Parts: sequence; structure tokens; C-alpha cells
Amino acid sequence: MIRIQNIHVDYGPASERKKILNGIDAEIEAGEFVSIVGRTGCGKSTLLRLILGAEKPSTGRVLIDCVERSQPDRECGYVPQKYSLFPDKTALDNVAFGPKVTSFRGPFTRLAPGRRARMREIRAEALEYLKHTGLNESDARKYPHQLSGGMQQRVAIAQALIMRPKILLMDEAFSALDPSTRADMQRLIKQLWRESGTTIVFVTHHTREAVCLGTRVIGLARNPAGGSSIAIDLSMAHIELDSGEHVLADAVRRIDAVHRNDAVHGSEDSPSQAAEYAVL
Amino acid sequence: MTIPVLRINVLRINALPRRATAWLLSWALFAAGISAYFTVARARHIENPDDRVTPTLAQMAQAFADAALKAPDEEASSDAPQSLAARFANSMLWKDTEATGRRFLISVALLFPAVLLGLHMAMFPYTGAFFLRFVQFFDKIVALSLLPILFIAFGIDELAKIMLIVIGVTPTIILDVFNLSKSVPREQIVKGFTLGAGDLRITYGVVLKQIWPRVLNSIRLNLKSVMLFLFAGEMIASTDGLAYRIALLRRHMGMDTILPYVLWVALLLFLVDVGMSRINRWLHPWFEEA
Repeated sequence: MIRIQNIHVDYGPASERKKILNGIDAEIEAGEFVSIVGRTGCGKSTLLRLILGAEKPSTGRVLIDCVERSQPDRECGYVPQKYSLFPDKTALDNVAFGPKVTSFRGPFTRLAPGRRARMREIRAEALEYLKHTGLNESDARKYPHQLSGGMQQRVAIAQALIMRPKILLMDEAFSALDPSTRADMQRLIKQLWRESGTTIVFVTHHTREAVCLGTRVIGLARNPAGGSSIAIDLSMAHIELDSGEHVLADAVRRIDAVHRNDAVHGSEDSPSQAAEYAVL
Repeated sequence: MTIPVLRINVLRINALPRRATAWLLSWALFAAGISAYFTVARARHIENPDDRVTPTLAQMAQAFADAALKAPDEEASSDAPQSLAARFANSMLWKDTEATGRRFLISVALLFPAVLLGLHMAMFPYTGAFFLRFVQFFDKIVALSLLPILFIAFGIDELAKIMLIVIGVTPTIILDVFNLSKSVPREQIVKGFTLGAGDLRITYGVVLKQIWPRVLNSIRLNLKSVMLFLFAGEMIASTDGLAYRIALLRRHMGMDTILPYVLWVALLLFLVDVGMSRINRWLHPWFEEA
């Protein structure tokens, strides 16, 4: 279980301090698929990095199974929007990196007994994961720059899942993809979530994507006192990728209504921005 | 009758020179330089057949053959007939090349600890805080201005020359590697942790591996500086080496040997440069800039 307790995040020197997150409290149960939605710059990615342990809050804390996060570790898999793969490794080696690192530790890993047999197993397992995400053996031999954006994200998902993390954190992971690839990836991640039972926290600025994927949607919006707070926390368990348009539209409308409200009350957004948000 | 119009593409960004044209253009300056030299040399030799400032091709070829096939004056050569390879191995050119090459290789080898220091400075904040300001300041010291101090402190042996190169080039390499390491996206480091890697594994297995081709490029581009400092050291205090020979021949106006020596040094550096570039591309097929 992820417990986020009274998180505040401020950046910058004292004279020009900027509040990013303002009093975030939330609990995410094991096995949930939570989408975090909000406008660009509202602190979604910051919240994700706090869960990951890659950033420290100004006040408050994040606990995973009652243990406070101090730095990123194997418990959380991570799929960012960009730079998700190691450019010097083939797709297969990218996926095999984690198991290799955890199987062989110390300075003389090349001399470890049984290394060859274990390496064969790791590579076979990595290939299985790649195939599961829809890639073939020929793709596995390619370097990241030889793969399309969608393929790279498939490799990144396989790379994260092979470590069997308790939690998978995805930061705008499909934002750079074209609509068709994006739809494929959404189906893939939903299927993998069902099969693995991993908790997924998915950050996106697309309300529709958040609604389609998450069993729960947390919406961040500007707080009049500064920074962003949770403005909406809705269960979306009844919605699937293939749910009817009216069901989706209704959910999107409910979330956007809150954000639209926030835009008006927050007074930092122009009416045109608010309108733009309403039609997302 | 239509007059063919020559279209000037020199200032067109989208110009597409033909392969043959590009090849010819790439050699044009060589041809121009060589022609200009021999034109001047011919004119000077007509005026003064004993001119030593601009030797003819035959004079340079003879001097180079002597340098490449004869033992240095200071060494007694045996009169027994020797193979061409054996004569080259005993020649002045080879002995000078060997001496300079040895110093060059030691200096390049000493650049690798600089790579590790730059990497550690970027990856470990305490190491960075300890070294960065000092290295940045050290980088601004003109290495040649330290030459007298080095000769006083380390004597006029090999150590002083190698220290000159180390002082002249390592700060640049350290700062370059520092910047390269810092430019690795933070996401990659976070990703490494989530895949179970520790600090050292990320430093060497993720960051160093990614920046390695660029580091090799940086070293390659700094080879000329290495040679510059090496030549300065050899010219001032040495008894062998290519720069020592050039300095020695300058006293006798031996342009017929100096010019081939200069070309020989340029050729060797060019070959090292091409070799390193090819090896870099072969070792790192994923590196698009290689």
C-alpha cells in the first residue's frame, strides 16, 4: 500500500519560493490502477517522483508498506516519457539489465560460477517478456535508436516488469506516441496489469486516457493558497477501454467540471484555457 | 544560341555537390599549397642554387631517405649490409619517433585517471564539491608558463615533459567528462536504481558506458594539445624525439629534413586520429555520432 501523507513541495530560494504541491494526502491499495491527471506543470510528475523516491518532499512523507521512501529501488518500476532505455544496449540487453545486475553482484561478476547458464536463463526470460509486449526476436537485437517510439516504450515496460516490481510508475509514458500506437499501448498495459496484479500509478494530462485506464482517477488542480492539491478522487472501476462513448464522456465531464471550477477559482487561468481544458 | 549559365551554389545550404566534385574540392587546397610551395622554391633556386630555405622535392626526398635509413650521426653505424627493415629500425627517424611515441603513449595513458576523476566528480556530489572549483581554476593556468617551474621541480628528464602534458591537458579532459556525465538524463540514473543497480554499477555500467564514445572523441580531439605540450618539452630539454630533431636541425637551417619531419608528425597524428575514430565506431555501433 502506498500512503502519501500531507506532502508539500516547494522549489527555489527563499525569496522566490514556488509552491508545487500543497497538502497532498492519499492512499493507494495494492493492485489498484491509479491515474493521476492534471494540467501541465501542476505537479503530477513531482508526485510520481516522490513515490519513486527520486525526490524528497519539503514536508510530509511517502510510505510504501509502512516504509518511508528515501531513494529509488527495485520495489518501484519506472517508465518515463523519454530516455526510458539505455542507448548503448540492445532491446534484449535493456530488458536483461535488471536481472543481470541482481544475479551477479561484486567486482568480478564475469568470473562468477554458473554465470553462463544463468545468463542464458536471463536472456530467455528477457526475450519472453519482450514477446509478451509484442516484440519479436529481430526487434530484440536492435538498439533503441533503431526502434520506433511505441516499440521503445514496449521495451521499457518489459524492462520494468521483468523485475516484478510491487508498483509500476508511468510518467506520461504514452504522451509522445501517435494515436494508434497509443491505443495499442493502452490495451497492452491494461492487459499486463490484469495478468500481473501490479499496482500501477499512471500520470497523464489526458483526462480521457486517465479515465479509460485507471480504476481510480486522482485529479490535481491549483489550490488558491498556492501549489496543487487533490481536487478529485473518483473510482472508475466500472469503465473499460471499450466502454461506450457516453460512459466515457460522462466521466471525463465530471473530472473536467472540477478542473474548470478550479480554473475559474484559481484565477491564474484565462477563460480560454479553461474552455480548452473542458473539451479535452 | 543560348549561353550556358554557371550556377553558383557555394552559398546555397541545400546544394548537393556530386561525389566527384566533392572529392576534387577536398584535395584542391592540398594541390594549391604544394604548387605554391614548389613555384616559390623553383624561383628561389633559379636565383640561388644553394638556397636552403625552400628545398626542392629531390632534396627533401634525399634528406628523408637519409633520416629513415641511416643511423643518427651521434651513433656509430656498422658497415655490414643490412636489410631495409633493419636499417629503418636503426634510423634517426625511427629512434626519434619511438622516443616521442613513448612519451605520447605514457601521457595518453595518464589521461584515463582524469576520465575517472571527471566521472566521479559528476556522479558523487561530495567528490564534485571537493574537486570542481580547484580543477576549474587549474584549467585556466597556461601550462607552458609552468615549464620553468616543472624543469626546476622535476629536472629535465622525462617526468617534467610528461607532467607538462598532464597539467596542460588533464583539466580539460576532467571538465569535459564531468559535463558529459552530467548530461546523462536523470531518468536513466533513476531507472538504474529501479532495476536493482547500486551507485557504482550505475556510475560505471550506465553512465560511463553511455559517455565512453564521447570521452574517446574528446581524448582524440585533445591529441593535438598533447603533442603541442610534448613538442614544447622536447624542444627545450631533450636528447631525442621528433621535436628535439626539428629544433636541432633549425640551428643548421636543415629545412630539407624539417619539412619531411613536420609532414611525418602530421601523418602519424592523422593516422592515430582516423584509427581512434574507426575503433570508436567499431566498439560502439549504437553511437550515432561516431
